[in-house]
Amino acid sequence: MPIKELKIDNENELTIQRLLHAKHYELTLTRTLCVGCEICKTICPREAIDVKKQPKQQGQKTQRPIIDVNPQKCTYCGMCEPICPFDAIRVNVNGQHLVSVVEKESFPRLIHEIEVDASKCSLDCVECEKACPLNLIKVALLTPEGKQLPHEKLKTYSDRNDLKVQVNILKEQSPCCRLCEVKCPEGAIHVRKIFHGVLDINVEKCPPNCQDCLDVCPIPSALFLNSDGKVYPNAAFCVFCGACKIVCPADGALVMERRSVYHTPIKSGAWNKAIEKLTSTREYSKESQTKRAAKVQQSIERKSLLKGVENA
Amino acid sequence: MPEETARVGVFVCHCGLNIAGVIDIKALVEYAKTLPYVAFAGDNRYSCADPGQEQIRKEIRENKLNRVVVAACSPRMHEPTFRKCISSEGLNPYYYEMANIREFSSWAHGSMPKEATEKAKDIVRMAVAKAVLLKPLEVIEVPVTNQALVVGGGIAGINAALDLADMGFKVYLVEKSESIGGHMAQLDKTFPTLDCSICIEGPKMVDVNRHPNITIISNADVVRVDGYVGNFKVKVRKNPRYVIAKNCTGCGECRDACPIEYPNEWDMNMGVRRAISVPFEQAIPLIYTINMDYCIECYKCVDACGAREAINFEQRPEEIELDVGAIILATGFDIYMPTDDPLYGYGKYDNVITALEFERLILAAGPTGGKVLRASDGKKPHSVTFIQCVGSRDVNKYEYCSGFCCMYALKDAILLKEKYKDDVEVHLMYIDMRTNFKGYEEFYRRARDLGIDFIRGKASQVLEDQKTKNLYIRAEDMSLGEPIEIESEMVVLCTAAIAKDDSADVARVFGISRGSDGFFMESHPKLKPIDTPTDGIFVAGACQGPKDIPYSVAQGSAAASRAATILSKPKVKIEPIIAVVDQKTCQNTRVKCGICEKVCPYGAAKAPEKQPALVTPAMCHGCGTCVAECPTDAIAQMHFTDAQIMSQIHAALETNPQETILGFLCNWCSYAGADLAGTSRFEYPPNLRPIRVMCSGRVDRDFVLEALRLGAGMVLVAACHLPYDCHYISGNVWMTKRMTALKGMLEKLGMSPERLRIDYVSAAEGVKFAALIKELADQMNALGKDRIMAENAKLKPIIEKMLARKKAEIPVAVAAPAPKS
Repeated sequence: MPIKELKIDNENELTIQRLLHAKHYELTLTRTLCVGCEICKTICPREAIDVKKQPKQQGQKTQRPIIDVNPQKCTYCGMCEPICPFDAIRVNVNGQHLVSVVEKESFPRLIHEIEVDASKCSLDCVECEKACPLNLIKVALLTPEGKQLPHEKLKTYSDRNDLKVQVNILKEQSPCCRLCEVKCPEGAIHVRKIFHGVLDINVEKCPPNCQDCLDVCPIPSALFLNSDGKVYPNAAFCVFCGACKIVCPADGALVMERRSVYHTPIKSGAWNKAIEKLTSTREYSKESQTKRAAKVQQSIERKSLLKGVENA
Repeated sequence: MPEETARVGVFVCHCGLNIAGVIDIKALVEYAKTLPYVAFAGDNRYSCADPGQEQIRKEIRENKLNRVVVAACSPRMHEPTFRKCISSEGLNPYYYEMANIREFSSWAHGSMPKEATEKAKDIVRMAVAKAVLLKPLEVIEVPVTNQALVVGGGIAGINAALDLADMGFKVYLVEKSESIGGHMAQLDKTFPTLDCSICIEGPKMVDVNRHPNITIISNADVVRVDGYVGNFKVKVRKNPRYVIAKNCTGCGECRDACPIEYPNEWDMNMGVRRAISVPFEQAIPLIYTINMDYCIECYKCVDACGAREAINFEQRPEEIELDVGAIILATGFDIYMPTDDPLYGYGKYDNVITALEFERLILAAGPTGGKVLRASDGKKPHSVTFIQCVGSRDVNKYEYCSGFCCMYALKDAILLKEKYKDDVEVHLMYIDMRTNFKGYEEFYRRARDLGIDFIRGKASQVLEDQKTKNLYIRAEDMSLGEPIEIESEMVVLCTAAIAKDDSADVARVFGISRGSDGFFMESHPKLKPIDTPTDGIFVAGACQGPKDIPYSVAQGSAAASRAATILSKPKVKIEPIIAVVDQKTCQNTRVKCGICEKVCPYGAAKAPEKQPALVTPAMCHGCGTCVAECPTDAIAQMHFTDAQIMSQIHAALETNPQETILGFLCNWCSYAGADLAGTSRFEYPPNLRPIRVMCSGRVDRDFVLEALRLGAGMVLVAACHLPYDCHYISGNVWMTKRMTALKGMLEKLGMSPERLRIDYVSAAEGVKFAALIKELADQMNALGKDRIMAENAKLKPIIEKMLARKKAEIPVAVAAPAPKS
């Protein structure tokens, strides 16, 4: 049979498939996790991903941009899966989860560094669970036998000192906004941001009564509505996804730039190109300079090794 | 003046009954005797045979003839034969003219013997008129580059290259894809011996790679061909692999490190290959290639390659020039992919595949490791049905029979049955079983004995069961005389072999023609199946027409032998039908002209500043376009001078010009198409009087004007199809410009527009030519003799003024024949 390229699109999921007689490729985008940012589109080497602004309804909140993937252009390289901070994309080959670029070390994984020292948690505290804007945290109380005790039963439980707090965080889906870290009264959580950068709003350029960026932002504290009716940024919580940039109607009002990415160590030309696209070129050249220096060093070592072999 | 001493011998051929059965030979011979300058007229049963040729030689001696006209078949058939004949008697071969009274008269007007005879008389008269003015010409000799170019590395090309190399000639083997081998290397086993295909082809491929006389240039395209036989200059563009061929050891470590996969065309897009890979393991040359459409430039391959440093992302296309004396085209065929066919469900139903896809499944090195699996569920099918003639023998698609599909269907059925035995039920639906070569009928018997179910009847429709993805095939079982429906878990379509989709471009680059089925056209389907009308270029293998492996191999060797007839000699003879400039008349010395240089597609005509123009003989191909375009008539074409053609025009329009269609037909396309109309016995009205020119570009405005001045009813100028078919590249383009302008002017002067017809007929369009002449005759009759004469009378004084400046001698010596009593 000839190659079949299919797209199945509904509210909850977008699936594209490339079906060959002897091999099946599938890419699934979970729309409930996707925030409509621009990160996957930015790094796609084949420009197969498109982000479309939703038309604005009068008097309604601005809708999140919709991601579309072109099944003819996608080569199922898998770069979009590890780069998505919200873990919204899954690539499968022949029904098995396989991200070839990560397997072959052509692309790094983002490091979602979130550590919880549950020993510091008080038994009735669920602040982190309340704070997480993406509902990724579930606080559980465990009995010595390991059974879970619902929080309502805490008041009436006898041996409170035997209970342990367990904080379950879906780390892979977390863009590391640090809200939980800040809201934790005991300082039990440590989060390191994935993306660092600059977020700024030139409020004089904002159209009156416009809060499009606020409407689509996945982290409600990164942008907030001030008393003067304008939206102001709080870069401390911003995850630098870029959804706001897509919907901002005013040129130059919103400035969002990424400066660095926290990722597993990697040596790959594809990653160099991706970083260049995600951040500004200046940062890329800084990162590549350090890599180049290492390469030159290796090359010298290799040559002197060979020389040594020749002279021997 | 030479014509005063001309002594013309006219030999009318019976050609058995081909001519004699329609034309009154006696009357024709008697008529010829009455023509001026005719010293002898006789007839012969078969002029081309030994006795006929002997007679010609005898009459030359006894009657001291110095011009010969044979009234017989087409000059495209036997002009060389008779030129040789008269030169053996000491006469310059260019003192010969052919009167085509077979294809143009007896065969085209078989039901009108009287009209055919009258037309034959006119054709003979025209030939004699030209013969009187013929001049002796000497053949030009040019040195030969004794290297060959073989285009296409399939089994035919490989054999041609090996044979030539073993003979001692240097061969360049240019292959478009990354590896040589062609379709044969994609097959599992070959019929009827069931030899493993790559096992027998692999050693040959290695031989080619190792042979000191063969240079393989793979991943390359031929972009331009200049020159002529013995002296071709070929520009080849080597497309970048991004891998340095010298350094690549073919180890494959880069492929193992590459994360990207893409569909592998070699596997019929059923399996995948990496962004850096070879198409198959036995590729020759074994050099890896990066497909930049998929590569993400992660450079893992560079790391894996390490110290070999074979990968270079900066590689650019490289153009090289090859000097060769002969070219063999062995570019092969493609398989019809029936995605547009609504009946069989290919592309819609998962379990319908083509035969080449089946071949890749059952092959051990294929994407499924030799297991025949269904696409829908990855399971082995328990029943497989082969459907023959998908696209072939089909008036809606490809009318021809693809030749090898019956055999490969039997082969695939036998392989399947021998692999899975009673686990699989095999049906084969066919119209006819064409198993006509050595061992092929026995192969068919073997298939029957294995218990394969043969159903005689073409499948009409394939439907799918949505749940199981099984297929229902409907057909009429001719043996039962009833419609049947069978359920099958897999359907294999045996599709047509078609010309490659770039064959139009290849034909244009090399200057050869394609037949109506898209395959390259040979000089003569029976006697010259390897030559093309372009000297020095030969065809071999499936690009000339679908054929199996032994036939392709044989043609490869045949092409090598044909090429060797040129390469083995230090010199080759070039026909002297070339343009010559009269330096005194050329106006480039007085004004800035250079028109000849502008229109010459070969760069043979050059007009340097303030100097008379010059044509380089060896580069001139003899189209005559510069001759027609020259504003001062300073250029003459040898053997097709203005005087010679004018004499033909006069002779054609001597009797009844108002009912005559004077046709200028180009040798390679429209004249050949007219020949085909005659050969096929397509009848058309006998009003045409044809004048053959090498190229339509030769047709001067003055020819049309003179024809109208002499009272012609209609004038036809027929050429090769625009834009690319002209044998001389652009002759038809200049003709169209020139004639369209002339037509506009004549219409303004009162000529009915249909009286000057510009049209395009290819060598394969016999039907079209006959229809064209019929249309012109009908239009002429609709206008009526009176109207035509009135228009001509009005045009005559204006035309005479326009022609006054023409210096060509229009010989008055050709007197009108005595009126018949």
